[in-house]
Amino acid sequence: MSTKKTLRNINKIKLTRRQLMSGSGALGGLLLTGCDTQFYKPPVIREGFMGVADVMTMASQRMLLSNQQLVQEHDASEITKNFPVWNQSNPDDEEYQRLRAGNYADWRLPISGLVNNPISLSLEDLKRMPRRTQTTMHICEQGWSAIAQWTGAPLMSVLETAGGVTTEAKYIMIDAYGGWYEGYDMFDAVHPQTILAYGMNGKDIPLGNGAPVRLRVERHCGYKQLKFIKSIHVVSSVEDFGRGTGGLNSDFGFHWYAGA
Amino acid sequence: MPSTTRNWIFRHTINARICHWIMVVSFFYLLYSGIMIFLHFPELYWGKVGFQGYPAIFRLEDWGISWERAEELGDRRWGRNYHYLFAWVFVINGMIYLIWNGWQKKFYQKMLPTREQLSIRNLKSEFARHIKLKAAKGESAASYNILQKVSYLFVLFALFPFMIISGFAQMPAFTAISPELIDFFGGRQTARTLHVICSLLLVVFVFVHLVEMIIAGAVNQLRSMFIGKYEIHSENAEESL
Repeated sequence: MSTKKTLRNINKIKLTRRQLMSGSGALGGLLLTGCDTQFYKPPVIREGFMGVADVMTMASQRMLLSNQQLVQEHDASEITKNFPVWNQSNPDDEEYQRLRAGNYADWRLPISGLVNNPISLSLEDLKRMPRRTQTTMHICEQGWSAIAQWTGAPLMSVLETAGGVTTEAKYIMIDAYGGWYEGYDMFDAVHPQTILAYGMNGKDIPLGNGAPVRLRVERHCGYKQLKFIKSIHVVSSVEDFGRGTGGLNSDFGFHWYAGA
Repeated sequence: MPSTTRNWIFRHTINARICHWIMVVSFFYLLYSGIMIFLHFPELYWGKVGFQGYPAIFRLEDWGISWERAEELGDRRWGRNYHYLFAWVFVINGMIYLIWNGWQKKFYQKMLPTREQLSIRNLKSEFARHIKLKAAKGESAASYNILQKVSYLFVLFALFPFMIISGFAQMPAFTAISPELIDFFGGRQTARTLHVICSLLLVVFVFVHLVEMIIAGAVNQLRSMFIGKYEIHSENAEESL
């Protein structure tokens, strides 16, 4: 993508921000509905008591999170040395290996689906966007935790660059190299600490931690922090993805909502 | 020769009985699913961070079960699903128990120690009786003894709430909801470690509870937890007549 087009997109961000302030933008509308009950349940509710418990857990936490408060940020001195490399550490994917060999210069992030202006961003485009740096704790559902500093573009800014989402948009589905994918609702998408991170501890994200770009969605367990991001689809329904539960982890039988 | 007569008293109310058995089932599932989760990461740490390779304060490996073996035994997917399901059962059941009983004066009479029970003389004799593993006889068996009351109150109002809040302190959402809670424990890993230690204390409680039940008469005790009625063996026939 040329620099000119990126600049046009950045101008578009300003426009969307203005819409957002007036409450006419789709994302602005979503920001105002932090207490909306649609955020109290996962896209697909499991059968039986397990589904009841899932909704109770998610609804109670979302009520407590309805002000979109930020997660605790730590001092840079608390950054963990030897941050663990967990799960997929180097995608067994021809396209990924080709991009990696070219130092991700040809890596593109298409943002498609229910957005007003589908686009494709390069790593340089992302780095030129408004950035956020946060030192947060990564909590793995298995039990470990570690602190790292992440730098990236807020997902909300990225969606604004794509012209904002349409009114039917409900979920953000993100594909990763190596076959992983995960879904997120607008409640998490608009959170200021939800970022597409390209930097870790002041450097480019290392291979094992999800190079070139991974998601940080801080109020969730590690399995929602998707690594090796490939593409973003904004959708109204999750049923066309995988087994239709809204993410690979929930396809495997884990909670879709990972705040607990 | 003293003869024994059979007297029946009404020991456990219907709410105590229902809540007790729901709690037994949910406690079992919470413990079992907790073990299943733990086995997939069988190390404990102190402070904010901890991971494989970080200095641990407890490693299952040191106790003869390798990391790989523990992973085979555990099942965190099943464990997590059932841990949260039964955590809700446990919490709702506990709230029903407290609200339902909180209305009744009988509950306070049954659970709170009397002044007489707190006397040094009584404490001494109760300790001695428990160490000798002897059952309470006659009228004193009709109500909870001092050690029983103190341990029940400690479990209900100290260990159970501690399990719940140390559970909250491990949840990622609480890094936004209440980071103060995580700091209160001194970090996420400390909360996890204390959660495990507290669960072990509860296991000790259950063990002692079962031993005491057997000493005091398993049939009589269990029957009273199902139907409410409890049999008192009075040693002095004339007195009870």
